[in-house]
Amino acid sequence: MDSTRNTTRELVHGLAALILALFLLGISSGLGLVKNIVDLWGALLFIPEYPAVIMRDVFLEWRSWSRDKNSLNAEVIKLREENSRLRIDLAKLIGEKIYSEDIKPDRKTARVALRTPMSWWNEIRIDKGEIDSISQGLPIFYNGYLLGRVSSVSTMSSWAELITSPSFMIPAVIEETRELGVIVGDGGGSVLLRYIPAGRGVKTGMRVSTAMIGEQLPPGLPIGKIAGEISSGSDGYATYKIEPGVDMSKFYTVNY
Amino acid sequence: MLLIILWLIQDFLTVLNGGEMHIPGLFMLGLVYNLSFNDSSDVNLRAIWSAFAGGILWDLRWIGIPGFFTLGNVCAVLIFIKIWEAVPPQGHTGFLFFILMEISQIVPPLLPILILAGSTAWNFFLLQQVYSLPAILVTMYLFFKKIQQNLTQGR
Repeated sequence: MDSTRNTTRELVHGLAALILALFLLGISSGLGLVKNIVDLWGALLFIPEYPAVIMRDVFLEWRSWSRDKNSLNAEVIKLREENSRLRIDLAKLIGEKIYSEDIKPDRKTARVALRTPMSWWNEIRIDKGEIDSISQGLPIFYNGYLLGRVSSVSTMSSWAELITSPSFMIPAVIEETRELGVIVGDGGGSVLLRYIPAGRGVKTGMRVSTAMIGEQLPPGLPIGKIAGEISSGSDGYATYKIEPGVDMSKFYTVNY
Repeated sequence: MLLIILWLIQDFLTVLNGGEMHIPGLFMLGLVYNLSFNDSSDVNLRAIWSAFAGGILWDLRWIGIPGFFTLGNVCAVLIFIKIWEAVPPQGHTGFLFFILMEISQIVPPLLPILILAGSTAWNFFLLQQVYSLPAILVTMYLFFKKIQQNLTQGR
């Protein structure tokens, strides 16, 4: 008799836990509150996780050193500086305004702390926040290419919107033709360049970077290359697929 | 207390490897190990809610949406309790224990993959199962050691 009662109790508790879990699953994906709780929990775990972060950083640094990466990094920085100078010179030649201080070769690094499967192509959380001088709208990079921009900031972490997000819309320019368009993500891992007048000789492989028109992002930040034309509408404008400079499936850190 | 430590170790190891490989579900292994030497209903109830709490905290840290590991953990514990109690003590063999531990490693990450992910995640999932094997073998060693100890003490 006792055994039956115990089994029933276990069954009731088990079902209650299952129903509660399903309920949480059902309601929480759309709640902004969950994001705050996730941030808070991440901040609380910062203390026990801190030694792991340090150990990992030390290991990565050692590995980098052992592979003689430092000399390569120095070379990359040198090339970036040279690239920045050339970009400024080019901008002067064609009369475009460009801010040299915006193209910084020495960027800081942040770790990707969370990339939720539900918004895989839309946003990431990074482990740097206000105390690390992160501010809303700040562009983030990987390997020198634009990856997205900071959308919200808390004390020790921030959320950043990725270029593959449908709500990430920025003006961009095709560097070879100087045609202006709008970069937008499709939410499925692709990046598109829209509103380029059709028949202007845009070719695969042409470079795309941010344009200077009324946005928080400075001009001249490299985004990627033209991968091909998707459609040419009856309105006279074409849409191109962009191959981002960042491998969107292979970044564990970002620069800012 | 042991479960909290195991949860923190699992989290610590996940941070340490930076998401490059999946870490075995140490928390669930500890939970299942504890249950295997228990015949009290209260312990079973505590295990169900511990699995729930461990799952929700894991979801909040690594998935961003509470419910996935919560559901998986609770399912795995319920499966363990039902099968372990349905089989008489003579049948509590190493093989059965191994199977149930495997279930505790397979079920929790299965739900997020079934619902959210594509083929790449399946590779990660299979790799996690491979990485779990050493941890499962260590737990089995502890299981046999405890059985031996109980036999020596005449329990």
